[in-house]
Amino acid sequence: MSAHEHHISSAKFLWGVGIALFILTVLTVAVTWVQIPEPWNVVVAIAIAVVKATVVAAFFMNLFWDSKFNTMILIMSALFFMLLIGITLLDTLYRIDPVPSF
Amino acid sequence: MSGTSATIEKRLDHLQHHFIDSDQQFESAKLGMWIFLATEILFFGGLFAAYIVYRSWYPELYIQASTELNTFWGAINTGVLIGSSLTVAMAIRSAQLNQIKGLIYNLYITIALAFVFMVIKYFEYAHKFHLGIYPGEYYTFEGIAHEKANIFFSIYYMMTGVHGLHVLIGIGLMIWLVYKAKKGAFHSGYYTPVEITGLYWHLVDIIWIFLFPLLYLID
Repeated sequence: MSAHEHHISSAKFLWGVGIALFILTVLTVAVTWVQIPEPWNVVVAIAIAVVKATVVAAFFMNLFWDSKFNTMILIMSALFFMLLIGITLLDTLYRIDPVPSF
Repeated sequence: MSGTSATIEKRLDHLQHHFIDSDQQFESAKLGMWIFLATEILFFGGLFAAYIVYRSWYPELYIQASTELNTFWGAINTGVLIGSSLTVAMAIRSAQLNQIKGLIYNLYITIALAFVFMVIKYFEYAHKFHLGIYPGEYYTFEGIAHEKANIFFSIYYMMTGVHGLHVLIGIGLMIWLVYKAKKGAFHSGYYTPVEITGLYWHLVDIIWIFLFPLLYLID
């Protein structure tokens, strides 16, 4: 009847994804014990968070098996977020005098 | 004969007349939810933008102020939310397999974990209020030698507060799902509200995955 069956993840697989996310959480705390020099500690923290978010989106939110259009919406929202950040920083980073009362 | 038509009627009672079939209705609902989630990302994006702008202006403030946040409880809460994402995924799996009891149990565990998150958050907030760490002009804490310390905590309260509000809304949605599931509304052919709420819940988890290192883990 239906055109295609919805993807059903096995319990084992879902637990595996959960455990991977726990391990990445431990890792993101553990890297703060190693003193990574200034700009790179932020880069590492964000990189681990992006990996975790990607795992959640792909395997818990089922984007991996889903219509590619939904993935596109997620990626577009991330791109527009970066556009917001980028254009804002082009202003705020290059002010000679940061807004006085802020 | 009437038996067969009755089962067909039961299987399709959720189908709205303007959709071709159950599948199209399901995919449309999911697409609508993803568009909503995109607006949520941009909504939180504004808060992350404020965070980034102030961090670029006052990097030393963030390093000093984040020592007031308890990494241990932040990490526990990250684990709690990941666990609740797992149980939501298990709830959806149960619904797909027509295991309504499993669906309800997994929703109960998710609701319980969401409450654990909020209770930990409550104690974190209460401890800060006790020290006089309030947002904005109500800030009276003396322990951070930086004149903009109140701004870090305004951003902290806004980001974690709006996130906490999303957790509370998620709890409400899942109580509603339990109510519907107990009335027999869901089966393997129709579990759209469970799937959609699951997507919302996973996004709330993803937001926290970014909030935790950005607020708690700045050495």
